[in-house]
Amino acid sequence: MTWELVVLLGWGAVMTAALSIVSITVGLAIGVLICAASLSRVAPLKWFGRVYVSFFRGVPLLVLLLLIYHVLPQLGLDVPGVVAALIGLTLCTSAYQAETLRGGFVNVAPGLMEAGRMVGLNARQILLRIRAPIALRLTLPALVNEAIMILKASSLVSVVGVGDLTRTAQNLASSTFLPLEMFAVAGAYYLLLNIVVGYGGSGLGRLLGLRPA
Amino acid sequence: MSDFSALREAMPEIVDGLWLTLAMWLAASALGLVLGLAIALARRFGPVWVDRPLWAVVGVIRGTPFLVQIFLLYYGGPFIGLELDPTPAGLGGLALYGAAYFSEILRGGLLAIPPGHVEAGMCIGLSRLQIVRRIMLPEMTLLVLPASVNMFVVLLKETAVLSIITVPELTMAVTGFGSANFAFSQAALVLAIVYWTLTELTGGLGRLLERRLDRFKLA
Amino acid sequence: MSDTLAITLRGVVKRYGSNTVLRGIDLDIRHGEVTCLIGPSGSGKSTLLRCMAFLEEHDAGLIRVAGDPLGFDAARNRLPQTEIARVRRNIGMVFQQFNLWPHMTALGNVAEGLRQVLRLPKRQAQERAMAHLTRVGLADRASYYPSQLSGGQQQRVAIARALAMDPKIVLFDEPTSSLDPELTGEVLNVMRSLADDGMTMVVVTHEIGFAAHVAQHLVFLDEGQVALEGRAGDVFAQPWHPRLRQFLETYLDRGASVLLG
Repeated sequence: MTWELVVLLGWGAVMTAALSIVSITVGLAIGVLICAASLSRVAPLKWFGRVYVSFFRGVPLLVLLLLIYHVLPQLGLDVPGVVAALIGLTLCTSAYQAETLRGGFVNVAPGLMEAGRMVGLNARQILLRIRAPIALRLTLPALVNEAIMILKASSLVSVVGVGDLTRTAQNLASSTFLPLEMFAVAGAYYLLLNIVVGYGGSGLGRLLGLRPA
Repeated sequence: MSDFSALREAMPEIVDGLWLTLAMWLAASALGLVLGLAIALARRFGPVWVDRPLWAVVGVIRGTPFLVQIFLLYYGGPFIGLELDPTPAGLGGLALYGAAYFSEILRGGLLAIPPGHVEAGMCIGLSRLQIVRRIMLPEMTLLVLPASVNMFVVLLKETAVLSIITVPELTMAVTGFGSANFAFSQAALVLAIVYWTLTELTGGLGRLLERRLDRFKLA
Repeated sequence: MSDTLAITLRGVVKRYGSNTVLRGIDLDIRHGEVTCLIGPSGSGKSTLLRCMAFLEEHDAGLIRVAGDPLGFDAARNRLPQTEIARVRRNIGMVFQQFNLWPHMTALGNVAEGLRQVLRLPKRQAQERAMAHLTRVGLADRASYYPSQLSGGQQQRVAIARALAMDPKIVLFDEPTSSLDPELTGEVLNVMRSLADDGMTMVVVTHEIGFAAHVAQHLVFLDEGQVALEGRAGDVFAQPWHPRLRQFLETYLDRGASVLLG
């Protein structure tokens, strides 16, 4: 085990972090839309939201990645593995985030919205100024958890050939015959990334005036 | 699918894969639950020198990907004299992984029991063991049901990862058929539908159970 | 130790960190009497009651239940768990939050101690539990789970659970404070009938009317000390004590004017 190898694994960790950040942010945006759809009173929208959440939460990420990796070329979209991986991670996390957000929205105490109505706020104001901020506060810990989940789940992109942390560790393990060391260091990198996300999350919580969970 | 006879030929292997998936899922869930309960109880009632190392182990397992753990066990194991076939390695890894998560779920349940319920037991003279057995464990079970069902679903989905270390479970069997017949996307689609059905069934069963236990819940 | 004394407290002190909640309590609880502990919030009355059940461990002083030291002996050696349990057997406790076990029926809650502690056979335990449920007027709710009962019914089951163990003394920790006003009556009625049967009771309560009518012995706590104590009629007849007067005026809007004349 040399410093060189640790640095090589570090580049893998950077790739893993990048994949996670992109899929979490894009996933959040899609998640908000899906959440809105599943809370909608329009039946087809609601159904679409529910089925979307159920499917992408119900299928193992590995299977989802294989599906996207093999289906896209058949649709004439010859995309590199990284893009297939990003699409898979994003679809997966958007479904989880949509469900988390839905839980937050449903659990905002109705009295708080009634109080808004009684001081004369309109529906839009109640949604944007009362319901959404409270829902976000309720769901922030779960969203941080989701970021940690996707960080770990991103290790599966190694099967579609993306050079993330796990793939790098695999390659180095077979070339150096040091699998124990390589996977242990890779694990340490994942732990480190998770600790950073955890601290970032509680920092964000403090910024939003939340007490630690 | 291009060739129907090829599928018929591969069917026994796929069915075997499905059974192995179900067997490993249930076995790992049961083992994980029992081990997780032991960890939760040891951490809740044991001394600090038991709690601390368990805290660290659980944290490491929960903080790293299952795939890396399974690689470490399967490829790294032989270097420390732990040479395992794919299936036992997968089962052991999945059970340990489940135990770490279950221990946190169950510990949370133990901590969420209102202290007054325990005090009420002390006041009518129940012993500590009786309080744990008759009050804390049943109440914990009610509290952790939704999170546990979730975890069962997670474990079911993680069984697919075991195909990467060549455990001949469902994903391995179906993708094997897919690549032999150049039907990659069809194979992946079939897998997606089978897993989706299984996870929905599990979730539905969980919700049913939760409704049945609803009357035990205090507001 | 006279056997007319159910509980004696001498110099009982309880601290939480730097906050001293009880500052040397001396108190005698006599057999067959209803003692009411009243006082403003934060005066330490619930803590005092919980010390009498050893749910809180006092930091100094001596508590005796039916003559036997509770938790610590006179030399402040901690008594073994079995001895604590033995002395505690004299005491039943009724909590503000009822604390019924949600996974057992009303009957199951009452029978639990009979089965597990007294080791009665199932039939016998259930018959005795049923008798106690009947006494609190809930025989027809025996198979209900706590979540299916009103707050008043839950508290009556909790009283039956405490009584089933045949305690010499029953402690009540604000038994009606988490109930809707229209449900307090049924609980107070059960308590009144218990008092009429001569049960030794110590009651922390804000129900001044109950204290005035049912208690023989009234203890007014203020800032962790017994500020005033005596026969209930005497205490209420002389609200010259400035803190008691203030307390009564704050805690009662209608009642106080009646009592204060």
